[in-house]
Amino acid sequence: METKKLVILSALIVLLIVLVLAFFKCGGEEIIKPLPPASLEEDKSSSDEPRELQAVTLFFSSESDEYLHPEEREIPTDSSVVNQARTLVQELLDGPEGDLLNPFPPDTKLRELFVTPEGVAYVDFSREIRDHHISGSSAEIATVFAVVNTLTRNLDSIKKVFILIDGGEKDTLAGHVDLSRPLVPRKDIEAR
Amino acid sequence: MVKKNLLFILILCALFLPGFGQPQTSLKISVDDQEDLSRLLVESSFPLQSTLEKNGPYLVIKIRTEEEDYLVQRNSFRSPRIQNLGWSKGADNCILTVKISDPDFRYEYETREDPHQLIIEIRLIKEMLQLDNPANEVRRAPEPKSRPRKDTDSPEGNRSSGEPAGAASEGLRTIVIDPGHGGLEVGAKGKFGALEKDITLDIALRLRSIIEKNLAYRVVLTRDRDIDVSLENRAATVNNNRGYVFISLHVNGYFRKEANGSETYFLGLNATDEEARRMAYFENNSAAMEERIQSDTEDDIMMILWDMAQTAYIQKSGQLAENIQKELNALLGTTNRGIKQAPFKVLTGVACPAVLVEVAFLSNPIEEKKLITEEFQNNVAMAVYRGLTNFLRSYTQE
Repeated sequence: METKKLVILSALIVLLIVLVLAFFKCGGEEIIKPLPPASLEEDKSSSDEPRELQAVTLFFSSESDEYLHPEEREIPTDSSVVNQARTLVQELLDGPEGDLLNPFPPDTKLRELFVTPEGVAYVDFSREIRDHHISGSSAEIATVFAVVNTLTRNLDSIKKVFILIDGGEKDTLAGHVDLSRPLVPRKDIEAR
Repeated sequence: MVKKNLLFILILCALFLPGFGQPQTSLKISVDDQEDLSRLLVESSFPLQSTLEKNGPYLVIKIRTEEEDYLVQRNSFRSPRIQNLGWSKGADNCILTVKISDPDFRYEYETREDPHQLIIEIRLIKEMLQLDNPANEVRRAPEPKSRPRKDTDSPEGNRSSGEPAGAASEGLRTIVIDPGHGGLEVGAKGKFGALEKDITLDIALRLRSIIEKNLAYRVVLTRDRDIDVSLENRAATVNNNRGYVFISLHVNGYFRKEANGSETYFLGLNATDEEARRMAYFENNSAAMEERIQSDTEDDIMMILWDMAQTAYIQKSGQLAENIQKELNALLGTTNRGIKQAPFKVLTGVACPAVLVEVAFLSNPIEEKKLITEEFQNNVAMAVYRGLTNFLRSYTQE
Protein backbone atom coordinates (compact mmCIF):
# COMPACT_ATOMS: atom_id res chain seq x y z
CA MET A 1 0.00 0.00 0.00
CA GLU A 2 2.73 2.41 1.06
CA THR A 3 4.95 1.55 -1.88
CA LYS A 4 2.05 1.87 -4.31
CA LYS A 5 1.35 5.38 -3.05
CA LEU A 6 5.04 6.25 -3.36
CA VAL A 7 5.17 4.99 -6.93
CA ILE A 8 2.11 7.03 -7.90
CA LEU A 9 3.49 10.11 -6.19
CA SER A 10 6.89 9.85 -7.84
CA ALA A 11 5.25 9.22 -11.19
CA LEU A 12 3.20 12.35 -10.71
CA ILE A 13 6.28 14.38 -9.81
CA VAL A 14 8.17 13.14 -12.88
CA LEU A 15 5.15 13.98 -15.04
CA LEU A 16 5.01 17.46 -13.54
CA ILE A 17 8.71 18.07 -14.21
CA VAL A 18 8.33 16.91 -17.80
CA LEU A 19 5.32 19.17 -18.27
CA VAL A 20 7.08 22.18 -16.78
CA LEU A 21 10.14 21.61 -18.94
CA ALA A 22 8.01 21.18 -22.03
CA PHE A 23 6.12 24.36 -21.21
CA PHE A 24 9.27 26.42 -20.84
CA LYS A 25 10.76 25.06 -24.01
CA CYS A 26 7.75 25.88 -26.14
CA GLY A 27 6.93 29.07 -24.31
CA GLY A 28 10.50 30.24 -24.75
CA GLU A 29 10.24 29.96 -28.47
CA GLU A 30 7.00 31.91 -28.53
CA ILE A 31 8.45 34.75 -26.51
CA ILE A 32 11.38 35.25 -28.85
CA LYS A 33 9.07 36.34 -31.70
CA PRO A 34 6.68 39.03 -30.50
CA LEU A 35 4.49 40.64 -33.16
CA PRO A 36 5.77 44.15 -33.88
CA PRO A 37 3.06 46.78 -34.15
CA ALA A 38 4.12 47.89 -37.61
CA SER A 39 4.02 45.02 -40.02
CA LEU A 40 6.98 46.43 -41.95
CA GLU A 41 9.42 45.28 -39.32
CA GLU A 42 7.87 41.88 -39.41
CA ASP A 43 8.95 41.49 -43.02
CA LYS A 44 12.49 42.67 -42.38
CA SER A 45 12.96 40.26 -39.49
CA SER A 46 11.70 37.38 -41.57
CA SER A 47 14.59 37.61 -44.04
CA ASP A 48 17.96 39.12 -43.37
CA GLU A 49 19.31 39.34 -46.91
CA PRO A 50 19.30 42.80 -48.44
CA ARG A 51 16.22 43.40 -50.59
CA GLU A 52 16.16 44.68 -54.09
CA LEU A 53 14.43 48.01 -54.58
CA GLN A 54 11.57 48.81 -56.89
CA ALA A 55 10.36 52.18 -58.15
CA VAL A 56 6.88 53.23 -57.06
CA THR A 57 4.68 56.28 -57.61
CA LEU A 58 3.04 57.92 -54.61
CA PHE A 59 0.34 60.56 -54.94
CA PHE A 60 0.27 63.67 -52.77
CA SER A 61 -1.30 67.13 -52.82
CA SER A 62 0.59 70.11 -54.14
CA GLU A 63 1.15 73.83 -53.57
CA SER A 64 0.30 74.55 -57.20
CA ASP A 65 -3.24 73.23 -57.58
CA GLU A 66 -5.78 70.77 -56.17
CA TYR A 67 -4.74 67.80 -58.28
CA LEU A 68 -2.80 64.80 -57.00
CA HIS A 69 0.86 64.94 -57.97
CA PRO A 70 3.19 61.94 -58.29
CA GLU A 71 6.37 61.46 -56.28
CA GLU A 72 8.69 58.67 -57.40
CA ARG A 73 10.27 56.62 -54.66
CA GLU A 74 11.93 53.24 -54.14
CA ILE A 75 10.66 50.60 -51.78
CA PRO A 76 12.03 47.10 -51.09
CA THR A 77 10.60 44.49 -53.43
CA ASP A 78 8.34 41.95 -51.82
CA SER A 79 6.50 39.06 -53.35
CA SER A 80 3.51 39.67 -51.09
CA VAL A 81 0.95 42.16 -52.36
CA VAL A 82 -0.24 42.82 -48.83
CA ASN A 83 3.24 43.70 -47.65
CA GLN A 84 3.79 45.97 -50.62
CA ALA A 85 0.45 47.66 -50.03
CA ARG A 86 1.32 48.23 -46.38
CA THR A 87 4.66 49.75 -47.34
CA LEU A 88 2.97 52.05 -49.85
CA VAL A 89 0.37 53.30 -47.36
CA GLN A 90 3.04 53.76 -44.69
CA GLU A 91 5.13 55.77 -47.16
CA LEU A 92 2.07 57.91 -47.92
CA LEU A 93 1.42 58.59 -44.25
CA ASP A 94 5.09 59.50 -43.73
CA GLY A 95 4.45 62.29 -46.22
CA PRO A 96 6.22 63.60 -49.30
CA GLU A 97 10.02 63.92 -49.41
CA GLY A 98 9.94 66.71 -51.98
CA ASP A 99 7.87 69.89 -52.26
CA LEU A 100 4.45 68.27 -52.27
CA LEU A 101 1.84 68.57 -49.51
CA ASN A 102 0.74 65.75 -47.23
CA PRO A 103 -3.02 65.20 -47.55
CA PHE A 104 -3.13 63.13 -44.34
CA PRO A 105 -3.59 64.51 -40.84
CA PRO A 106 -0.10 64.26 -39.25
CA ASP A 107 -0.88 61.66 -36.57
CA THR A 108 -2.81 59.25 -38.81
CA LYS A 109 -1.67 55.64 -38.48
CA LEU A 110 -2.23 52.51 -40.53
CA ARG A 111 -3.99 50.03 -38.28
CA GLU A 112 -4.44 47.11 -40.62
CA LEU A 113 -4.47 46.23 -44.27
CA PHE A 114 -5.59 43.17 -46.14
CA VAL A 115 -6.40 42.29 -49.72
CA THR A 116 -9.25 40.02 -50.81
CA PRO A 117 -8.84 37.52 -53.67
CA GLU A 118 -11.18 39.76 -55.71
CA GLY A 119 -8.61 42.54 -55.59
CA VAL A 120 -10.20 44.79 -52.97
CA ALA A 121 -7.68 46.27 -50.54
CA TYR A 122 -9.15 47.03 -47.11
CA VAL A 123 -7.13 49.80 -45.50
CA ASP A 124 -7.88 50.55 -41.88
CA PHE A 125 -6.70 53.96 -40.63
CA SER A 126 -6.62 55.26 -37.09
CA ARG A 127 -9.38 57.68 -36.12
CA GLU A 128 -7.14 60.72 -36.59
CA ILE A 129 -7.68 60.56 -40.34
CA ARG A 130 -11.28 61.55 -39.62
CA ASP A 131 -11.05 63.50 -36.37
CA HIS A 132 -8.23 65.78 -37.51
CA HIS A 133 -9.24 66.20 -41.12
CA ILE A 134 -9.63 69.81 -42.27
CA SER A 135 -12.82 68.87 -44.21
CA GLY A 136 -13.96 70.35 -47.50
CA SER A 137 -14.72 68.27 -50.60
CA SER A 138 -11.44 69.01 -52.35
CA ALA A 139 -9.34 68.13 -49.30
CA GLU A 140 -11.34 64.96 -48.66
CA ILE A 141 -11.10 63.82 -52.28
CA ALA A 142 -7.32 64.35 -52.14
CA THR A 143 -6.92 62.30 -48.95
CA VAL A 144 -9.10 59.43 -50.10
CA PHE A 145 -7.80 59.16 -53.64
CA ALA A 146 -4.16 59.58 -52.65
CA VAL A 147 -4.65 56.13 -51.08
CA VAL A 148 -6.85 54.63 -53.80
CA ASN A 149 -4.81 55.89 -56.75
CA THR A 150 -1.45 55.04 -55.16
CA LEU A 151 -2.41 51.44 -54.37
CA THR A 152 -4.11 50.69 -57.69
CA ARG A 153 -1.37 52.44 -59.68
CA ASN A 154 1.46 50.38 -58.21
CA LEU A 155 -0.20 47.04 -57.60
CA ASP A 156 -2.03 45.56 -60.57
CA SER A 157 -3.83 42.99 -58.46
CA ILE A 158 -5.56 45.72 -56.45
CA LYS A 159 -8.59 46.99 -58.34
CA LYS A 160 -10.54 48.75 -55.59
CA VAL A 161 -9.85 50.16 -52.15
CA PHE A 162 -12.18 50.00 -49.18
CA ILE A 163 -11.22 52.55 -46.54
CA LEU A 164 -12.01 51.67 -42.94
CA ILE A 165 -11.57 53.99 -39.98
CA ASP A 166 -10.73 52.79 -36.50
CA GLY A 167 -11.56 49.21 -37.40
CA GLY A 168 -14.96 49.82 -38.95
CA GLU A 169 -16.89 51.05 -41.95
CA LYS A 170 -17.70 54.74 -42.01
CA ASP A 171 -20.07 56.63 -44.29
CA THR A 172 -17.49 59.25 -45.15
CA LEU A 173 -14.24 60.79 -43.98
CA ALA A 174 -15.63 64.29 -43.54
CA GLY A 175 -19.12 64.31 -45.03
CA HIS A 176 -18.59 63.86 -48.75
CA VAL A 177 -16.89 60.87 -50.42
CA ASP A 178 -18.84 57.64 -49.98
CA LEU A 179 -16.68 55.18 -48.03
CA SER A 180 -19.41 52.59 -47.58
CA ARG A 181 -18.23 50.68 -50.61
CA PRO A 182 -14.90 49.99 -52.31
CA LEU A 183 -13.58 52.86 -54.41
CA VAL A 184 -12.06 52.71 -57.87
CA PRO A 185 -9.21 55.11 -58.75
CA ARG A 186 -9.99 58.47 -60.37
CA LYS A 187 -7.54 59.45 -63.06
CA ASP A 188 -9.23 62.84 -63.51
CA ILE A 189 -7.80 64.16 -60.26
CA GLU A 190 -4.21 63.28 -61.14
CA ALA A 191 -2.16 66.22 -62.43
CA ARG A 192 -1.27 65.94 -66.07
CA MET B 1 -18.75 32.77 -114.20
CA VAL B 2 -16.49 32.69 -111.18
CA LYS B 3 -17.72 36.10 -110.18
CA LYS B 4 -21.32 34.97 -110.44
CA ASN B 5 -20.62 31.94 -108.27
CA LEU B 6 -18.92 34.06 -105.70
CA LEU B 7 -21.87 36.46 -105.60
CA PHE B 8 -24.24 33.55 -105.16
CA ILE B 9 -22.21 32.22 -102.23
CA LEU B 10 -22.12 35.64 -100.67
CA ILE B 11 -25.90 35.99 -100.91
CA LEU B 12 -26.32 32.56 -99.38
CA CYS B 13 -24.01 33.52 -96.51
CA ALA B 14 -25.91 36.73 -95.93
CA LEU B 15 -29.16 34.82 -95.76
CA PHE B 16 -27.94 32.30 -93.24
CA LEU B 17 -25.71 34.49 -91.13
CA PRO B 18 -28.33 36.14 -88.92
CA GLY B 19 -29.65 32.83 -87.73
CA PHE B 20 -26.26 31.34 -87.30
CA GLY B 21 -24.95 30.68 -83.81
CA GLN B 22 -27.97 32.15 -82.11
CA PRO B 23 -28.76 30.56 -78.77
CA GLN B 24 -31.79 28.32 -78.62
CA THR B 25 -33.10 29.73 -75.40
CA SER B 26 -34.59 33.16 -75.33
CA LEU B 27 -36.72 35.51 -73.28
CA LYS B 28 -38.96 38.04 -74.92
CA ILE B 29 -40.21 40.98 -72.92
CA SER B 30 -42.91 43.39 -73.91
CA VAL B 31 -44.77 46.18 -72.17
CA ASP B 32 -48.41 46.97 -72.64
CA ASP B 33 -49.97 50.05 -71.04
CA GLN B 34 -53.59 50.18 -69.95
CA GLU B 35 -55.40 53.11 -68.44
CA ASP B 36 -54.90 51.96 -64.88
CA LEU B 37 -52.06 49.47 -65.11
CA SER B 38 -49.02 48.41 -67.08
CA ARG B 39 -48.67 44.81 -68.15
CA LEU B 40 -45.26 43.25 -68.51
CA LEU B 41 -45.22 40.09 -70.57
CA VAL B 42 -42.28 37.72 -70.45
CA GLU B 43 -42.38 34.97 -73.02
CA SER B 44 -39.85 32.20 -73.18
CA SER B 45 -38.93 28.98 -74.87
CA PHE B 46 -38.67 27.20 -71.51
CA PRO B 47 -40.96 26.86 -68.50
CA LEU B 48 -40.76 29.97 -66.37
CA GLN B 49 -39.85 29.46 -62.76
CA SER B 50 -39.56 32.86 -61.23
CA THR B 51 -39.45 34.84 -58.02
CA LEU B 52 -40.48 38.47 -57.79
CA GLU B 53 -39.34 40.97 -55.23
CA LYS B 54 -39.97 44.65 -54.64
CA ASN B 55 -36.95 46.74 -53.76
CA GLY B 56 -37.63 50.48 -53.46
CA PRO B 57 -38.78 51.67 -56.87
CA TYR B 58 -37.58 48.45 -58.47
CA LEU B 59 -39.27 45.19 -59.21
CA VAL B 60 -36.66 42.46 -59.39
CA ILE B 61 -37.68 39.34 -61.29
CA LYS B 62 -35.45 36.31 -61.08
CA ILE B 63 -36.07 33.64 -63.66
CA ARG B 64 -34.41 30.28 -63.20
CA THR B 65 -32.42 29.03 -66.12
CA GLU B 66 -29.63 26.50 -66.39
CA GLU B 67 -28.64 27.80 -69.80
CA GLU B 68 -25.37 29.66 -70.04
CA ASP B 69 -26.12 31.29 -73.33
CA TYR B 70 -29.48 32.87 -73.88
CA LEU B 71 -30.97 35.86 -75.52
CA VAL B 72 -33.15 38.55 -74.02
CA GLN B 73 -35.25 40.54 -76.42
CA ARG B 74 -37.14 43.63 -75.52
CA ASN B 75 -39.44 45.88 -77.47
CA SER B 76 -38.72 49.53 -77.14
CA PHE B 77 -41.49 51.12 -75.15
CA ARG B 78 -42.64 54.28 -73.50
CA SER B 79 -44.66 53.75 -70.37
CA PRO B 80 -45.88 56.13 -67.66
CA ARG B 81 -45.29 53.44 -65.04
CA ILE B 82 -42.30 51.46 -66.26
CA GLN B 83 -39.34 53.76 -66.58
CA ASN B 84 -36.64 51.34 -67.32
CA LEU B 85 -35.96 47.69 -67.89
CA GLY B 86 -32.62 46.00 -67.56
CA TRP B 87 -31.36 42.50 -67.19
CA SER B 88 -28.35 40.64 -66.08
CA LYS B 89 -27.07 37.11 -65.65
CA GLY B 90 -27.05 35.53 -62.24
CA ALA B 91 -25.45 32.24 -61.24
CA ASP B 92 -28.38 30.09 -62.32
CA ASN B 93 -30.91 32.68 -63.26
CA CYS B 94 -31.70 35.66 -65.37
CA ILE B 95 -32.40 38.79 -63.35
CA LEU B 96 -34.74 41.38 -64.79
CA THR B 97 -34.80 44.74 -63.14
CA VAL B 98 -37.84 46.90 -63.72
CA LYS B 99 -37.70 50.52 -62.59
CA ILE B 100 -41.14 51.82 -61.71
CA SER B 101 -41.85 55.54 -61.91
CA ASP B 102 -43.21 55.60 -58.35
CA PRO B 103 -41.89 53.50 -55.44
CA ASP B 104 -45.44 53.03 -54.18
CA PHE B 105 -46.64 50.38 -56.55
CA ARG B 106 -48.37 47.02 -56.39
CA TYR B 107 -47.79 44.04 -58.61
CA GLU B 108 -49.58 40.83 -59.38
CA TYR B 109 -48.30 38.04 -61.53
CA GLU B 110 -49.35 34.86 -63.17
CA THR B 111 -47.38 32.12 -64.91
CA ARG B 112 -48.84 30.33 -67.93
CA GLU B 113 -47.74 27.24 -69.78
CA ASP B 114 -47.85 26.56 -73.48
CA PRO B 115 -46.76 29.06 -74.49
CA HIS B 116 -44.55 29.79 -71.50
CA GLN B 117 -45.53 33.20 -70.23
CA LEU B 118 -45.10 35.28 -67.15
CA ILE B 119 -47.59 38.12 -66.91
CA ILE B 120 -47.00 40.88 -64.43
CA GLU B 121 -49.46 43.67 -63.79
CA ILE B 122 -48.11 46.80 -62.21
CA ARG B 123 -50.33 49.45 -60.64
CA LEU B 124 -49.34 52.69 -58.98
CA ILE B 125 -50.94 53.22 -55.60
CA LYS B 126 -51.57 56.90 -56.29
CA GLU B 127 -53.54 55.95 -59.39
CA MET B 128 -55.46 53.28 -57.48
CA LEU B 129 -56.49 55.86 -54.89
CA GLN B 130 -57.67 58.23 -57.57
CA LEU B 131 -59.74 55.54 -59.21
CA ASP B 132 -61.30 54.44 -55.95
CA ASN B 133 -62.55 57.94 -55.08
CA PRO B 134 -62.95 59.78 -58.31
CA ALA B 135 -64.71 62.58 -56.44
CA ASN B 136 -61.94 63.19 -53.98
CA GLU B 137 -58.47 64.33 -54.68
CA VAL B 138 -55.71 62.43 -53.03
CA ARG B 139 -55.26 64.18 -49.73
CA ARG B 140 -52.46 62.19 -48.37
CA ALA B 141 -49.65 60.35 -49.99
CA PRO B 142 -49.44 56.77 -48.80
CA GLU B 143 -46.62 56.01 -46.44
CA PRO B 144 -43.72 54.60 -48.35
CA LYS B 145 -43.70 51.13 -46.87
CA SER B 146 -40.80 50.01 -48.92
CA ARG B 147 -38.36 52.37 -47.27
CA PRO B 148 -37.58 51.35 -43.75
CA ARG B 149 -35.60 54.51 -43.19
CA LYS B 150 -35.61 56.38 -39.95
CA ASP B 151 -36.27 60.05 -40.03
CA THR B 152 -35.74 60.70 -36.38
CA ASP B 153 -33.07 63.33 -36.77
CA SER B 154 -34.57 64.95 -39.82
CA PRO B 155 -37.31 67.33 -38.77
CA GLU B 156 -38.24 68.40 -42.28
CA GLY B 157 -38.36 64.84 -43.47
CA ASN B 158 -40.61 63.96 -40.57
CA ARG B 159 -42.92 66.85 -41.01
CA SER B 160 -43.45 66.47 -44.68
CA SER B 161 -43.60 62.71 -44.89
CA GLY B 162 -45.71 62.36 -41.77
CA GLU B 163 -48.44 64.85 -42.53
CA PRO B 164 -49.79 66.01 -45.83
CA ALA B 165 -48.53 69.27 -47.17
CA GLY B 166 -50.82 72.27 -46.83
CA ALA B 167 -53.67 72.60 -49.29
CA ALA B 168 -51.88 75.40 -51.07
CA SER B 169 -48.84 73.31 -51.83
CA GLU B 170 -50.83 70.20 -52.74
CA GLY B 171 -49.83 69.06 -56.18
CA LEU B 172 -46.74 71.24 -56.21
CA ARG B 173 -43.44 69.67 -57.03
CA THR B 174 -40.80 69.69 -54.36
CA ILE B 175 -37.31 71.16 -54.48
CA VAL B 176 -35.13 69.79 -51.68
CA ILE B 177 -32.31 72.01 -50.47
CA ASP B 178 -29.60 70.49 -48.32
CA PRO B 179 -27.47 72.82 -46.18
CA GLY B 180 -24.23 70.82 -45.84
CA HIS B 181 -23.05 69.57 -42.43
CA GLY B 182 -24.63 70.82 -39.16
CA GLY B 183 -24.49 70.24 -35.44
CA LEU B 184 -21.26 68.65 -34.23
CA GLU B 185 -20.24 68.14 -37.81
CA VAL B 186 -19.10 71.67 -38.54
CA GLY B 187 -17.55 70.99 -41.96
CA ALA B 188 -14.74 73.22 -43.20
CA LYS B 189 -13.40 75.96 -40.91
CA GLY B 190 -12.10 79.38 -41.87
CA LYS B 191 -9.01 81.10 -40.48
CA PHE B 192 -11.22 83.83 -38.99
CA GLY B 193 -13.60 81.34 -37.43
CA ALA B 194 -16.39 80.99 -40.00
CA LEU B 195 -17.91 77.52 -40.13
CA GLU B 196 -19.17 75.75 -43.21
CA LYS B 197 -22.37 74.55 -41.48
CA ASP B 198 -23.46 78.14 -40.72
CA ILE B 199 -22.77 79.50 -44.19
CA THR B 200 -24.57 76.64 -45.93
CA LEU B 201 -27.63 77.12 -43.72
CA ASP B 202 -27.70 80.89 -44.34
CA ILE B 203 -27.53 80.41 -48.10
CA ALA B 204 -30.15 77.64 -48.00
CA LEU B 205 -32.63 79.85 -46.16
CA ARG B 206 -32.08 82.66 -48.65
CA LEU B 207 -32.48 80.26 -51.57
CA ARG B 208 -35.67 78.89 -50.09
CA SER B 209 -37.29 82.29 -49.84
CA ILE B 210 -36.30 83.24 -53.40
CA ILE B 211 -37.78 80.02 -54.78
CA GLU B 212 -40.96 80.29 -52.71
CA LYS B 213 -41.48 83.87 -53.81
CA ASN B 214 -40.90 83.27 -57.49
CA LEU B 215 -41.71 79.71 -58.41
CA ALA B 216 -44.70 77.43 -57.96
CA TYR B 217 -42.67 74.83 -56.13
CA ARG B 218 -42.66 73.57 -52.58
CA VAL B 219 -39.28 73.81 -50.84
CA VAL B 220 -38.13 71.31 -48.25
CA LEU B 221 -34.89 71.74 -46.32
CA THR B 222 -33.01 68.73 -44.97
CA ARG B 223 -32.34 70.87 -41.90
CA ASP B 224 -33.53 74.37 -41.01
CA ARG B 225 -31.35 74.84 -37.95
CA ASP B 226 -28.01 73.85 -36.53
CA ILE B 227 -28.45 70.09 -36.02
CA ASP B 228 -26.77 66.88 -37.08
CA VAL B 229 -28.51 65.06 -39.91
CA SER B 230 -27.01 61.88 -41.32
CA LEU B 231 -26.31 61.75 -45.03
CA GLU B 232 -28.69 58.83 -45.37
CA ASN B 233 -31.52 60.84 -43.85
CA ARG B 234 -30.81 63.75 -46.15
CA ALA B 235 -31.29 61.43 -49.14
CA ALA B 236 -34.35 59.91 -47.45
CA THR B 237 -35.86 63.37 -47.07
CA VAL B 238 -35.60 63.81 -50.83
CA ASN B 239 -37.15 60.46 -51.68
CA ASN B 240 -39.86 60.54 -49.02
CA ASN B 241 -40.95 63.94 -50.29
CA ARG B 242 -40.74 62.74 -53.89
CA GLY B 243 -38.16 65.43 -54.50
CA TYR B 244 -38.13 66.76 -58.02
CA VAL B 245 -34.70 68.35 -57.77
CA PHE B 246 -32.07 68.10 -55.03
CA ILE B 247 -29.46 70.78 -54.33
CA SER B 248 -26.83 70.26 -51.65
CA LEU B 249 -24.96 73.41 -50.59
CA HIS B 250 -21.36 73.18 -49.40
CA VAL B 251 -18.32 75.32 -48.83
CA ASN B 252 -14.95 73.92 -49.84
CA GLY B 253 -11.63 73.43 -48.05
CA TYR B 254 -8.11 72.50 -49.08
CA PHE B 255 -4.58 72.12 -47.75
CA ARG B 256 -3.26 75.27 -49.40
CA LYS B 257 -4.88 78.60 -48.67
CA GLU B 258 -4.60 79.79 -52.29
CA ALA B 259 -7.19 77.27 -53.48
CA ASN B 260 -10.22 79.26 -54.64
CA GLY B 261 -13.31 79.27 -56.81
CA SER B 262 -16.71 77.65 -57.25
CA GLU B 263 -17.57 74.24 -58.61
CA THR B 264 -20.67 72.10 -58.97
CA TYR B 265 -20.60 68.34 -58.54
CA PHE B 266 -22.89 65.59 -59.68
CA LEU B 267 -22.51 61.92 -58.91
CA GLY B 268 -19.55 60.19 -60.46
CA LEU B 269 -20.03 56.49 -60.82
CA ASN B 270 -17.70 54.58 -58.63
CA ALA B 271 -17.34 51.71 -61.03
CA THR B 272 -14.74 49.77 -62.94
CA ASP B 273 -15.02 49.94 -66.73
CA GLU B 274 -16.80 46.62 -66.72
CA GLU B 275 -19.38 47.80 -64.20
CA ALA B 276 -19.80 51.10 -66.01
CA ARG B 277 -20.67 49.23 -69.18
CA ARG B 278 -23.26 47.27 -67.30
CA MET B 279 -24.82 50.39 -65.83
CA ALA B 280 -24.83 52.21 -69.13
CA TYR B 281 -27.33 49.62 -70.25
CA PHE B 282 -29.73 50.46 -67.46
CA GLU B 283 -29.52 54.12 -68.29
CA ASN B 284 -30.25 53.56 -71.91
CA ASN B 285 -34.00 53.75 -71.97
CA SER B 286 -34.76 53.29 -75.62
CA ALA B 287 -32.08 50.69 -76.10
CA ALA B 288 -32.97 48.13 -78.67
CA MET B 289 -33.22 44.48 -78.08
CA GLU B 290 -30.33 42.38 -77.14
CA GLU B 291 -27.56 43.33 -74.88
CA ARG B 292 -25.25 40.86 -73.26
CA ILE B 293 -24.12 41.79 -69.84
CA GLN B 294 -22.05 39.49 -67.72
CA SER B 295 -22.53 39.34 -64.02
CA ASP B 296 -20.83 37.12 -61.53
CA THR B 297 -23.08 37.30 -58.54
CA GLU B 298 -26.44 38.57 -57.52
CA ASP B 299 -24.81 40.73 -54.88
CA ASP B 300 -23.38 42.82 -57.65
CA ILE B 301 -26.85 43.42 -58.93
CA MET B 302 -28.19 44.53 -55.58
CA MET B 303 -25.35 46.97 -55.20
CA ILE B 304 -26.07 48.40 -58.60
CA LEU B 305 -29.74 48.65 -57.76
CA TRP B 306 -29.03 51.05 -54.94
CA ASP B 307 -26.56 52.93 -57.05
CA MET B 308 -29.18 53.18 -59.66
CA ALA B 309 -31.40 55.47 -57.62
CA GLN B 310 -29.13 58.29 -58.78
CA THR B 311 -27.67 56.45 -61.75
CA ALA B 312 -30.92 56.85 -63.65
CA TYR B 313 -30.65 60.64 -63.25
CA ILE B 314 -26.96 61.21 -63.82
CA GLN B 315 -27.39 62.80 -67.20
CA LYS B 316 -30.03 65.21 -65.88
CA SER B 317 -27.91 65.92 -62.82
CA GLY B 318 -25.08 66.87 -65.15
CA GLN B 319 -27.35 69.34 -66.93
CA LEU B 320 -28.49 70.81 -63.62
CA ALA B 321 -24.85 71.17 -62.55
CA GLU B 322 -24.01 72.91 -65.80
CA ASN B 323 -26.88 75.37 -65.46
CA ILE B 324 -26.01 76.27 -61.87
CA GLN B 325 -22.28 76.53 -62.52
CA LYS B 326 -22.88 78.91 -65.43
CA GLU B 327 -24.85 81.29 -63.20
CA LEU B 328 -22.34 81.05 -60.35
CA ASN B 329 -19.63 82.22 -62.72
CA ALA B 330 -21.75 85.06 -63.97
CA LEU B 331 -22.77 86.34 -60.54
CA LEU B 332 -19.94 85.65 -58.15
CA GLY B 333 -16.75 86.69 -59.89
CA THR B 334 -15.06 83.66 -58.38
CA THR B 335 -12.77 81.37 -60.35
CA ASN B 336 -14.72 78.91 -62.47
CA ARG B 337 -13.67 75.42 -61.44
CA GLY B 338 -16.35 73.93 -63.66
CA ILE B 339 -18.61 70.96 -63.18
CA LYS B 340 -17.14 67.81 -61.70
CA GLN B 341 -18.10 64.29 -60.78
CA ALA B 342 -17.36 62.49 -57.53
CA PRO B 343 -18.83 59.55 -55.60
CA PHE B 344 -20.49 61.71 -52.96
CA LYS B 345 -22.50 59.83 -50.37
CA VAL B 346 -25.35 62.35 -50.12
CA LEU B 347 -26.09 62.08 -53.86
CA THR B 348 -25.92 58.30 -54.22
CA GLY B 349 -29.41 57.34 -53.12
CA VAL B 350 -31.29 60.37 -54.40
CA ALA B 351 -33.99 59.51 -56.94
CA CYS B 352 -34.08 62.80 -58.89
CA PRO B 353 -31.60 65.19 -60.52
CA ALA B 354 -29.13 66.06 -57.76
CA VAL B 355 -26.08 68.29 -57.44
CA LEU B 356 -23.68 69.45 -54.76
CA VAL B 357 -22.54 73.06 -55.05
CA GLU B 358 -19.16 74.05 -53.60
CA VAL B 359 -19.70 77.78 -53.35
CA ALA B 360 -16.12 78.88 -52.57
CA PHE B 361 -13.18 77.95 -50.34
CA LEU B 362 -13.42 78.62 -46.64
CA SER B 363 -9.74 77.65 -46.33
CA ASN B 364 -8.94 80.73 -48.43
CA PRO B 365 -8.96 83.84 -46.17
CA ILE B 366 -10.06 86.13 -49.01
CA GLU B 367 -13.00 83.90 -49.88
CA GLU B 368 -13.84 83.38 -46.22
CA LYS B 369 -14.37 87.14 -45.85
CA LYS B 370 -16.66 87.12 -48.88
CA LEU B 371 -18.57 84.03 -47.77
CA ILE B 372 -19.80 85.61 -44.55
CA THR B 373 -21.24 88.70 -46.22
CA GLU B 374 -24.94 89.01 -46.88
CA GLU B 375 -24.29 90.31 -50.37
CA PHE B 376 -22.23 87.31 -51.40
CA GLN B 377 -24.68 84.85 -49.87
CA ASN B 378 -27.57 86.53 -51.71
CA ASN B 379 -25.63 86.32 -54.94
CA VAL B 380 -25.01 82.63 -54.43
CA ALA B 381 -28.69 82.01 -53.70
CA MET B 382 -29.67 84.04 -56.76
CA ALA B 383 -27.18 82.21 -58.99
CA VAL B 384 -28.41 78.81 -57.84
CA TYR B 385 -32.00 79.97 -58.29
CA ARG B 386 -31.34 81.12 -61.85
CA GLY B 387 -29.48 77.94 -62.74
CA LEU B 388 -32.34 75.92 -61.27
CA THR B 389 -34.97 77.89 -63.22
CA ASN B 390 -33.11 77.41 -66.48
CA PHE B 391 -32.86 73.71 -65.78
CA LEU B 392 -36.53 73.40 -64.83
CA ARG B 393 -37.56 75.09 -68.06
CA SER B 394 -36.31 72.14 -70.09
CA TYR B 395 -36.77 69.42 -67.46
CA THR B 396 -40.48 70.07 -66.95
CA GLN B 397 -41.07 69.74 -70.70
CA GLU B 398 -40.12 66.08 -70.62
